[in-house]
Amino acid sequence: METTKKEVLLSIQNLDVVFGRGKKSFKAVSDVSFDIYKGETLSLVGESGSGKTTIGRAIMRINPCSAGAIYYNGEKISGKLSRKADREVIRKIQMIFQDPAASLNERATIEYIISEGLYNFHLYKDERDRIAKIEKVIRDVGLLPEHLTRYPHEFSGGQRQRVGIARSIVMEPEFIVADEPISALDVSIRAQVLNLLKKFQNERGLTYLFIAHDLSIVRFISDRIVVIYKGRIMEIAETEELFSYPLHPYTKSLISAIPIPDPIIEKSKRLFVYSTDLHDYSTEQPALVDIGNGHMVYGSPSEIEKYKAIRFGG
Amino acid sequence: MSNLQETVQNREELFQFIDTDSITSEKIIAPRYSYWRSVFRVFFRKKTSIVMLALLVFILLVSFIMPSFWPYDPFENVTNAATYSLTPAKAMDYFGGFSFKWLLGTGAMGNSILYGIVSGARTSLLLAVICAAINMTIGIIIGAIWGYSKKFDSVMLVVYNIIANVPYILLITVLVYVIGSGFWSFVFALTVTGWLSIAYFFRTQVMIIRDREYSLASRCLGTPVNRVISKNILPFLTSVIVTLLASELPSYISMEVFLSYIGVGLSANVPSLGRMIQNAQSAFLTYPWQFWPPVAVASAITIILYVLGQNLADASDPRTHM
Repeated sequence: METTKKEVLLSIQNLDVVFGRGKKSFKAVSDVSFDIYKGETLSLVGESGSGKTTIGRAIMRINPCSAGAIYYNGEKISGKLSRKADREVIRKIQMIFQDPAASLNERATIEYIISEGLYNFHLYKDERDRIAKIEKVIRDVGLLPEHLTRYPHEFSGGQRQRVGIARSIVMEPEFIVADEPISALDVSIRAQVLNLLKKFQNERGLTYLFIAHDLSIVRFISDRIVVIYKGRIMEIAETEELFSYPLHPYTKSLISAIPIPDPIIEKSKRLFVYSTDLHDYSTEQPALVDIGNGHMVYGSPSEIEKYKAIRFGG
Repeated sequence: MSNLQETVQNREELFQFIDTDSITSEKIIAPRYSYWRSVFRVFFRKKTSIVMLALLVFILLVSFIMPSFWPYDPFENVTNAATYSLTPAKAMDYFGGFSFKWLLGTGAMGNSILYGIVSGARTSLLLAVICAAINMTIGIIIGAIWGYSKKFDSVMLVVYNIIANVPYILLITVLVYVIGSGFWSFVFALTVTGWLSIAYFFRTQVMIIRDREYSLASRCLGTPVNRVISKNILPFLTSVIVTLLASELPSYISMEVFLSYIGVGLSANVPSLGRMIQNAQSAFLTYPWQFWPPVAVASAITIILYVLGQNLADASDPRTHM
């Protein structure tokens, strides 16, 4: 696929996020750059503490950027914004949270939770219009209008997550950051929520940044995958490209960790454990290099040559 | 072999496919939940709540209605030394027959103890309610903003550290001396800095809830601060507020009694329980009828308010609603 022809919706450039100050400071994200194209699903994959959520929250402007910038539709959205631009970005970029139990206000009715954004931006003509909008969206996520007067604790995890989705969808956003939206859910309802996300993408041309640690789910939903390790991007590639030619050893270890639903193969599977000792960066500086076919890998020049040889034969 | 197959086939006939309806599976059949209705249901489930509430209503009715029928004048018999410190029996003898007025005898200046207690209870209750209302309102509003805004926090911490380190009793004493000791100046003295400790307590509570995920979600939806406070933070603090109220209300009554006791309370012409206790304390062995009734009433009001408040605080915690 020709990625260069696509329209870039969100662009992250040399992003650093640092928590704390002075000696206690901790760099959660360092020098991360990637583009998200309009209408695609980009997945951010990595282990716990790798900085996936931090990147998502930096886009939502919950975590301030220490260095670098984030551009949305060509306009800078990190740092200080004018009030008008700020409101615009809030409406267009929405977030779906990881924990459906914690992300809904327990003392508010579903009606208030879903209408919250509508109230904030006055996205309705009159009361009837508002009710019509929230009733439509609640049906769209497979719930019933009679649920509107209920409280979150009366719902199951999957239903709550769908309320969370309804809350962001009703704002008619262009871009959604989905922060591990299914990792807190029961396996039996994960597909339901994923299909719902896909349905909205097809209907409304939404763009997703999908944050996950489970590669098997990521393969199902995403167009491109960014593999991140300790705040650095290790590899970026289209989904099938990444699964066919995982080049970076960390990506290989992630793929080797996917469970195989066959006990005989699963038992004899060789797990690939990643360690930074595999690299020797004492003489050469590593960098994220495009090796062609939209595939980018982090490595020193000699490693890159090796990766190219693996990928394109020779 | 064919026999076995037949049985299996017959078995299969016992089962049939049913279409699943995904919409019906979403239905919730539990009755609708209403927060305040559940609060009152749990509150009235306790017998102590009903008993204490009845006692409180009785005390309120008596102390707010009776003073208009039983006007209290502490100096009505001050010129007649023969009426000083009479036991109930002697007082009734002296004033000619049975009368509610002399049911508890006379005070050190021939005043009616019962009328004094009734009027004093009204003063104490009014003082407690007014001071608690003012301090709680200001404290909660300031505390909510204090906990939410980091800029305001740094300013308020300095203010708090300065004022909170001035001894409270000293501050009230000076204020009472400066602005007089009428009812309203006493209210002013108790509320001028009284809200600060409530606000500080509230700031901490707000900070705990401020960064929860649903508040983050509200931020991502662009909800303004005042609505985040009123919808995301305050509803979670209802039981904390009620618990605070349960300890604040009686504390003003004890405060009044204590301050009157050390001599900086309400002025002598305002009937108050504290004043009566202070007047009688030197003679509580010789004239016990002057001392114990006001002590008993002050304690009863404090205990009733405290128990009711605690029961309401328990009931307003949604974890008890199941």
